[in-house]
Amino acid sequence: MTDGDYDYLIKLLALGDSGVGKTTFLYRYTDNKFNPKFITTVGIDFREKRVVYTASNPNGTTTGKTFKVHLQLWDTAGQERFRSLTTAFFRDAMGFLLMFDLTSQQSFLNVRNWMSQLQANAYCENPDIVLVGNKADLADQREVQEKQAKELADKYGIPYFETSAATGAEVDKAVITLLDLVMKRMEQCVDKPPAEPANGNGATKLAEEQPNEKKCAC
Amino acid sequence: MPQAEDMINLGFLSESEQELILEVLRRDEELRLAEEQRVRKLKTELLDVRRKGAKRGSGRYSQRSCGRCQEPLSRLTVFSSQCKMCNHLVCRNCRTVLPKGSWLCSVCAKESDLKKRTGDWFFDQRVNRFSTMPGHDLVRVSLKKRPPPKKRETTGELLLRSTEINPDLPTPIPRTRQKNQTTDKGQSTQNSGSIGSRESFESREDIWSKPIRSDTESAENASIISSKTETESGRATPEQPRKENRSVQSSPTGSSVSSVTVPVKADIVNIDSTNAKANTAPDVKANSPSPDLDVDRLFKKSIKRDPRPSAEYVSTLDLRDGCDTSEVSMGNRSRSVPGLDIQEDGEEEEDIDSLVSFHKRTMASSSSSLHSSKSTLGSLMSIYSEGGDFDSVEVSGDVVFSMSYDEHTQSLQVFIKECHELACGDSSRQLSNPYVKCYLLPDKSRQSKRKTSIKRNTVNPVYQETLKYSISRSQLATRSMLISVWHHGRLSRNAFLGEVEIPLDCQDLDSTDMDRVALMAKAASAMPASAFAQYKGELVISLKYITPKKPTTEKIKGKKAVTGEGGELHILIKEAKNLVAVKPGGTSDSFVKGYLFPAKAKNTKKKTPVVKKNLNPHYDHTFVYKDLALEQLKGMCLELTVWDREALLSNEFLGGVRLSSGRETVKIGKEEVQMDSVGEESSLWEKMMQYPDSWAEGTLPLRSTMAKATVK
Repeated sequence: MTDGDYDYLIKLLALGDSGVGKTTFLYRYTDNKFNPKFITTVGIDFREKRVVYTASNPNGTTTGKTFKVHLQLWDTAGQERFRSLTTAFFRDAMGFLLMFDLTSQQSFLNVRNWMSQLQANAYCENPDIVLVGNKADLADQREVQEKQAKELADKYGIPYFETSAATGAEVDKAVITLLDLVMKRMEQCVDKPPAEPANGNGATKLAEEQPNEKKCAC
Repeated sequence: MPQAEDMINLGFLSESEQELILEVLRRDEELRLAEEQRVRKLKTELLDVRRKGAKRGSGRYSQRSCGRCQEPLSRLTVFSSQCKMCNHLVCRNCRTVLPKGSWLCSVCAKESDLKKRTGDWFFDQRVNRFSTMPGHDLVRVSLKKRPPPKKRETTGELLLRSTEINPDLPTPIPRTRQKNQTTDKGQSTQNSGSIGSRESFESREDIWSKPIRSDTESAENASIISSKTETESGRATPEQPRKENRSVQSSPTGSSVSSVTVPVKADIVNIDSTNAKANTAPDVKANSPSPDLDVDRLFKKSIKRDPRPSAEYVSTLDLRDGCDTSEVSMGNRSRSVPGLDIQEDGEEEEDIDSLVSFHKRTMASSSSSLHSSKSTLGSLMSIYSEGGDFDSVEVSGDVVFSMSYDEHTQSLQVFIKECHELACGDSSRQLSNPYVKCYLLPDKSRQSKRKTSIKRNTVNPVYQETLKYSISRSQLATRSMLISVWHHGRLSRNAFLGEVEIPLDCQDLDSTDMDRVALMAKAASAMPASAFAQYKGELVISLKYITPKKPTTEKIKGKKAVTGEGGELHILIKEAKNLVAVKPGGTSDSFVKGYLFPAKAKNTKKKTPVVKKNLNPHYDHTFVYKDLALEQLKGMCLELTVWDREALLSNEFLGGVRLSSGRETVKIGKEEVQMDSVGEESSLWEKMMQYPDSWAEGTLPLRSTMAKATVK
């Protein structure tokens, strides 16, 4: 499993309150299985998955280039008592799945706290994050409305997905969207020095002047 | 940064919980090690790409040549051929077109690609954020001499290590280490020059070297130490004695790692980033993890074989900063021809970072080389000594020594006991500060150099020192020991006090009886002869001078030189025979390098491709020197040298030939050099000039040294 036969090692991390379904979400993603039993995660754990990533141009067309990506998906304990341990792992992740439970208003309210934890501890102040409302299959117990969550996500400027680890709905899409964000940022980080030649110099300058949230400082 | 979480206290965890976490960390370690290996392999590739002909920090190049392959650029392309990343002018062949339609030079392209693949883009950014942290080496560390970038360190790694060292102690997380931080300034460039970075690196080492295991901070230190000795010393600094780290590392964790069941499945999912639709694809079977043992070996080897302290990747040539551009070729050459320079082919040795930094620097600044301050004084002296540029005195006295072979350690032990009645190296003050230097010939490189200590103010020094050479006994038969005595002039030049050469085939290496041998003067006049004394094989080449196509004899005023100099010299490097094996397994990976002197303005260096694992390599490669008049060739000299290519290390000199008419003196750089071409070397050159437009072929014996006599 851990041979080096891949092009990129991308490390993602799932965080959120205890019991929102981070572990089952990742289990669904990597193994496509569902375990309804709640086993609290002790501190940290991770899972791996090999995926093929197709690079795309900024305009959406694929370049046809494919890469083997090895995903290391860190699972963190939501419980408060592990907090110091789990946040220390934030700094090693390239992207984050910030999860809450659609059937728990409290877990949604805590998203703010998690966001500030991320801002303080992640590798940069505005890392790539995807907001995930899990347990979408439990429609009758829903406490958080899609609109609410969407608004919050928009406020942070991050994508939002309603997923179900039980049915598998949107699980892959959420992870892949995050991966795509990370890969795009990677391109930006590395290719920033040579300006886009097609635009000419003026256009490049403009782009730099924009308060580009996603652009990294490197 | 919040300071509240300076410590991760694992004490609150139950034993079974700790065990669980440790297991996770060990799995993580496994992945990390595989990743480290992959990264190392990638960086080696980059090094390869870089090396191919790229302009180097210490050389100077024509503004109109490609920054990569050094081929001349046509006037038209000069304006549109600057790489946007490094600002070098680059020819069409050395560009890589990016998906977006822009292009970069091949090095920059490879470099950005690597930044992505190795995850450095991420670590670089993280460094910016937590720049106060030690561990995040602000300057990239070189692949071969230092631990891997600390910036790549992960929490898991740190945690695992500290837990293994002392599970009861609170585990520090990285940011606590600010306390230890002394010298790292927040400059985050990777290009800021290697010397500064090394200083900070060294100061950190001081910290590492004092492990006390009492408080939390020392646990931290300990964890850093272990990080050095356990996972990373495969790339440790040369100053550090190498330890049996790999095995140390695997023993405590090894068993548990293997027993962990990894809850992981390696499905391959095809992701199309545009529509984010996932469909399952057939499994891609993972290759068995055997990848780069070779790379590993390389690094270890480089450590073993590089005896120099780290701060010396400064070419000695940089001292000549003042010389003008017409001496470009001189610079290149003297770095690459042994006998003039002990740091053979120093350019191949530049570590990856100085290459990067040079490459990044703009062409404009290239004339004032940034590498300058430190130079290897020791090697410089050797250069002088090899070049014959030393103060010589009347040789007197003798040296008492013994040579024996120690089967146990597989090493040749040269015991230097003492010298008697040496000459005075400093004639004005009538004193000598003598030391003894040994070479295990024919290897006159620094790898073969051993020295005793310097004894002050005596002509009867007593050393009682043993100099060791690790070498198998069977190899000794063809070698000889050169023992020379030198006066160490602290401010002045070293003076040669005498030497003896002991062929080892007739030496009794089983007894430790002392030999007392009278010192002799250097066989300076016998230079050419001694250059051929050692059989190094032969080089088969063909030369042809092609006369200008146009009838150039009629010199039209106004059109002047262009027509007159249209001739070309073609040198077909056919093959080499019976080269010396220098690589394990009795082979060599050789190539031939050529220089034509006196050089015209542009670089005359040419190289053949490397032929691997062959002592009788066929190169079948032609060097072409253009714009030469037949007349000129009479006063020119062609040097062809054969090298064993050693990735990441200095290439090893295998032999060379010097072609010229053999009588002239040729100006090489500043020096007038008496051509010493002999026998076939000069007759072939003459033949080539005598019969233009036809091939003159010859088999030339290789010299074991290219040292030459300078005419002042």
